[in-house]
Amino acid sequence: MTDTLAQPRPKNAAPWEKLGSRVRFASWITSLVPAAIFVAAWLGLQLDFMAALLAIFLPIQLAFGAWAGFYSYGRKGVNDGLLMVVTFFFSTFVLVLLASVIWSVISEGAAALSPHFIYQNNRYITGTTGLEIGGAGHAILGSVIITGITTVITVPLAIATAVYLTETRDGARGVVRTLLQALAGLPSVVAGLFIYSMLIVSGWSSQVGVMASLALIPLMLPTISRVAEEALRLVPSELRNGALALGAPSYKAFFMVTLPAAKSGIVTAVLLGVARIIGETAPLILTAVIANETNANPLAGGMATLPTYIYNFLYLGDATSLQRAWGAALVLLIFVGILFVGARVASATRVGSKPKRRKK
Amino acid sequence: MSNLNHLETKDINVWFGERHVLRDVSLQFQNNHVTALIGPSGCGKSTFIRTLNRMHELIPTAGLSGQVLLNGEDIYAQAVDPVNVRINIGMVFQKPNPFPTMTIRENILSGLKLSGRKIEDGDGLVETSLQRASMWNEVKDRLSEPALSLSGGQQQRLCIARSLAMDPNVLLMDEPCSALDPGSTRRIEETILELKENMTIVIVTHNMQQAQRVSDSTAFFLSENGNPGEVVEFDTTENVFKRPKDDRTNEYVNGRFG
Amino acid sequence: MSNDVAPKRLKLRSKPSRTADKVFFAVAKAAGYSSFVLVAAILFFLMLRAWPAFESQGVVNFIFGAGWNSTTDPQIFHLGPMLYGSLLIAAIGVAFAVPMAISISYFISFLAPERVAKIATVIVDLLAAIPSIVIGLWGLGVFSPVAAEWGRMLSEALGFIPIFSNAVDIFLRSPFIASLVIAVMIVPIIASITREIFSQMDQEIIKGAMALGGTRESIFRKVILPTASGGIVGGVLLALGRAMGETVAIFFVLNLTFDDFNWFKILEPSGGAVASLVLARFNEALDTELSALLAAGVVLFVVTLIVNTIASYIVAKAQPWRKL
Repeated sequence: MTDTLAQPRPKNAAPWEKLGSRVRFASWITSLVPAAIFVAAWLGLQLDFMAALLAIFLPIQLAFGAWAGFYSYGRKGVNDGLLMVVTFFFSTFVLVLLASVIWSVISEGAAALSPHFIYQNNRYITGTTGLEIGGAGHAILGSVIITGITTVITVPLAIATAVYLTETRDGARGVVRTLLQALAGLPSVVAGLFIYSMLIVSGWSSQVGVMASLALIPLMLPTISRVAEEALRLVPSELRNGALALGAPSYKAFFMVTLPAAKSGIVTAVLLGVARIIGETAPLILTAVIANETNANPLAGGMATLPTYIYNFLYLGDATSLQRAWGAALVLLIFVGILFVGARVASATRVGSKPKRRKK
Repeated sequence: MSNLNHLETKDINVWFGERHVLRDVSLQFQNNHVTALIGPSGCGKSTFIRTLNRMHELIPTAGLSGQVLLNGEDIYAQAVDPVNVRINIGMVFQKPNPFPTMTIRENILSGLKLSGRKIEDGDGLVETSLQRASMWNEVKDRLSEPALSLSGGQQQRLCIARSLAMDPNVLLMDEPCSALDPGSTRRIEETILELKENMTIVIVTHNMQQAQRVSDSTAFFLSENGNPGEVVEFDTTENVFKRPKDDRTNEYVNGRFG
Repeated sequence: MSNDVAPKRLKLRSKPSRTADKVFFAVAKAAGYSSFVLVAAILFFLMLRAWPAFESQGVVNFIFGAGWNSTTDPQIFHLGPMLYGSLLIAAIGVAFAVPMAISISYFISFLAPERVAKIATVIVDLLAAIPSIVIGLWGLGVFSPVAAEWGRMLSEALGFIPIFSNAVDIFLRSPFIASLVIAVMIVPIIASITREIFSQMDQEIIKGAMALGGTRESIFRKVILPTASGGIVGGVLLALGRAMGETVAIFFVLNLTFDDFNWFKILEPSGGAVASLVLARFNEALDTELSALLAAGVVLFVVTLIVNTIASYIVAKAQPWRKL
C-alpha cells in the first residue's frame, strides 16, 4: 500500500442527514398514531370509511402534524407540519383514485376476458346474453382501422406543421400556434358534430368508419404537432448550421440531420397522438354507426371501436353488458398502456436533447 | 491557384434589424495564408466570418451591404446560389457539431451526401480527409462507431475533416479551439499549419498566442462606445503584434483591455 | 475610413434557392395554414347547419332560456340549464381538483426524493392517459354508489345549508358526483402545468428565502405560490375548458334536466352539460332538433375557445422559457 493522505469516507460523513432524535420521534408518532386511531375507529365503531377518513383521521392527523412541527422546530414548525399533512393527504388521495380506476378495470375486466372475447364479434348478442359467446374482436379491428387511417393522414400533416413552426420564418407562426392551442382544447363532441354537419347531413356520406377517422383529425393534430415542434426545437441549431455550412439545401439538412436527431421525439409525438385518440368516444358515436358485426371496410357500413363498444354496453346497463364493457375497457387500457410506455421509452432515449433540469 | 488575393471583401457593412454592427470592412485573404481575426467580444468578428460563406443571412434580422469576392466574383451576386458558396468555403464552428445520428465515417461523407454530390471513392476520401486532419491513426479502427463516442477535441477535428472532404478552397474557423483543452488545441493548430499549404484559412480567435502561432496576417476588430465594429489594423501578424501602428491595437495585443 | 454617406443597404432574405427547397417550404407552409382552414371550416359548417335553430329560437333565448322539447308545438330548444350546468360542474370539479393538483405538484417538486418523484410523475401522466369512457365506466360502476353515500352523509350533516339540501332523497346522478368524476380527469392537466412551473422556478430565490430563515410553509405561501400563481390560473382555465367539453364521462353519471335551472342544489339528481345533451339527444333528433344540437355545439365551441385562448395566453406568459 502506498502512502496516501486520502482517507476512506466515514459512514456518517453527512451530519445534515441525521435527523435530530426529537424530529425522528415526532415523525414516527405523527405517521403512526392517527392511522391507528383511524383504523380503530373505522373498524371498531363500524363507521363509513370516507366519513371516518374526513371526520376522524384528517383532523387528528392535522393536529398531530402541527404538534410534530412544534415539538421539532418550535412555533415556526407548526405551519410546516400542517403543510406536510395536507400535501401528503391530497397526494395520497390522487394515488388512491388512480389505483381505484386501474384496479377496477383490471379485476372486473379480467373476469370478462377470454380468448373468444378477443376475436369474436357481437352478432346475435343482446344485453343479457351470457359471456360464453361474443366478444370485442370487431371493435378491436375497428379501433385499429379508424385510428390507423387518422394516423396516416394526420402524422405527415402534423409533422409538416411542426416544420412550419420551427424551420420557417413565416409571420403567421404565432397565429398558427394559437390556433393549434385552440384546437387542443376542442371538445371532442364538437369535432364529431363538425364532420357530421359537413359531410353527413349534406348527404355526401353515411355514418361509416372513415367519417370517424376524419373527425379524429382535429383532435390528433395539435397533440402531435406540439410534441414534434418541441422535439425539433431541441435539436441544437449548431447541427442545422453545420449541415448548411457543408452546402446542404434546407430540405436535405432537415431530412438528413434535423429529423434523425429528433427521431425519438417524433416517435413520442406520434405515440402520444395515437393514445390521445384511441380512447375517444363521442365523435365516433356521432359519425359512425356502432356495428355488431365485423366490418373491415371503412367506406361502407357501420364500424364499432373499443370506446363505442364500451359505450354501447354501458348504455344497455344489464349485468352482463357491464361485464363486457369492463372487458373492453381492459383491452383499451392495455392498448393505451403500451402506447404510454412506448412514448416514455422513446422520449427517454432522445438524442441531442439537453438533460431535463431537475430541481430538488 | 496563383491569385494572391483569392478571397477579399469590399466595404462590408452589417446590420441586425436597425442596429449597425460592422462598418466598411475591406480585407484581403491571400492564398496559402492564415488570417487571424482578433478583437474583444462583441466587436463583430464572428459576424464578419459568417458573411464570408453566407451563413450570416440565416439570422432572421440580418442585413448586409458590400461585396465578398471569391476569385474575383461576388458571392452575393444575384445569380449565385448560397449552397454553392458554402460548398466551396468550408466552415468549422466554435462548438464541435458532429452529426449525432451518424458514424464517424458517415460524418466525413455527410457533406457530399448533403450537397447531393456523388461519392466515388468513399473509403479513400475518408482516409485522406482524416489524415489531413491528422486523426486517421486514432480512429481508423472505429470508423463505424457513432461520432459522439469521440472526445471533444477529436470531435472538432472530425468536423475539420468533414469540411476537408468537400475539398474547399477556403476554410473558415470560428474560434475552433475555445471549447477544447490545451492538448487538443495544439493538435488543431498543427493541422492548420499543414492545411494552409493548399488553401486559404480565416480563423477567429480570442487567444492572442494562438493568433501569433498560426497566422500570417492579423486583422484587429474593435467596436467602441456602441459604434459599429471596424477594422482598426490589418497587417502581417508580426507587425500587428510587434509594431502596431494604432495605440488601441497596442493596448489590446498587450492585454490592457478586452 | 470616414465617409458620411450611409452605405446602401441590402435586405437579406435567405430565400430558398432551389426548387426542392421551395417545395419543402411550400409544403410546410401549407400544413401550417391548414389549421386556419380547419378552424374556419369547423365554425362555418357548424354555423351553416345550426343557423335554422338560432333563427327559430332566437339567439338569446337559445342560449339563456330553459326547456328542451321536440314534441311541443312550437318546439322548444333552449340551452340555458345545460350551459349553466356545464359551468357549475366544471367549476366545482376545478375546486376539487386544484388542491389535489397543487399538493401533488408540490410533493413531486419539493418534497419527494428523486425516485419517488419520478414514479409520482408517471402516475399523474398515466391518469391523464386514461380514456374518458373508462373514467365514465368507473364513474358509473364503481364511484357513483360511493360518492352518492358521501352525498347522503353531507346532506344529513349539513343539509341546513341550502346547497347541501336534498328534497328528493336520491343522491345518484347529481352534479356533485359529476364534478368529482371531472376532477379525476382534470387533476393531471393542472398538475402537469403546475409541476412544470415549480420545476423551472428559480432555485436561487428559494435558497435566498431559506437563507433568510424561511420555513417550508412560509416559502410555499410567500414565494412559491405567488411566483407560480399565473401558471396555476392558466392551468385551471385549461382544465375548465376541458371539463366543459367533456362528454361521455358526465353522460353516465348525471341526470340531465332540461326544463329548470338547478342553480345550486348540487346533491340533487338534476343538472346539465351541453356536451352530454348532444350525446343524449343525437340519435332521436330530427331536423330542427338536430340543428339545435349543432347550435349547442357552436355555443360549446365558442365558449371553450374563449376559455382556452385566455388560458393559453396566461400559461404562455407564465412560462417565458417556452418562447423561442
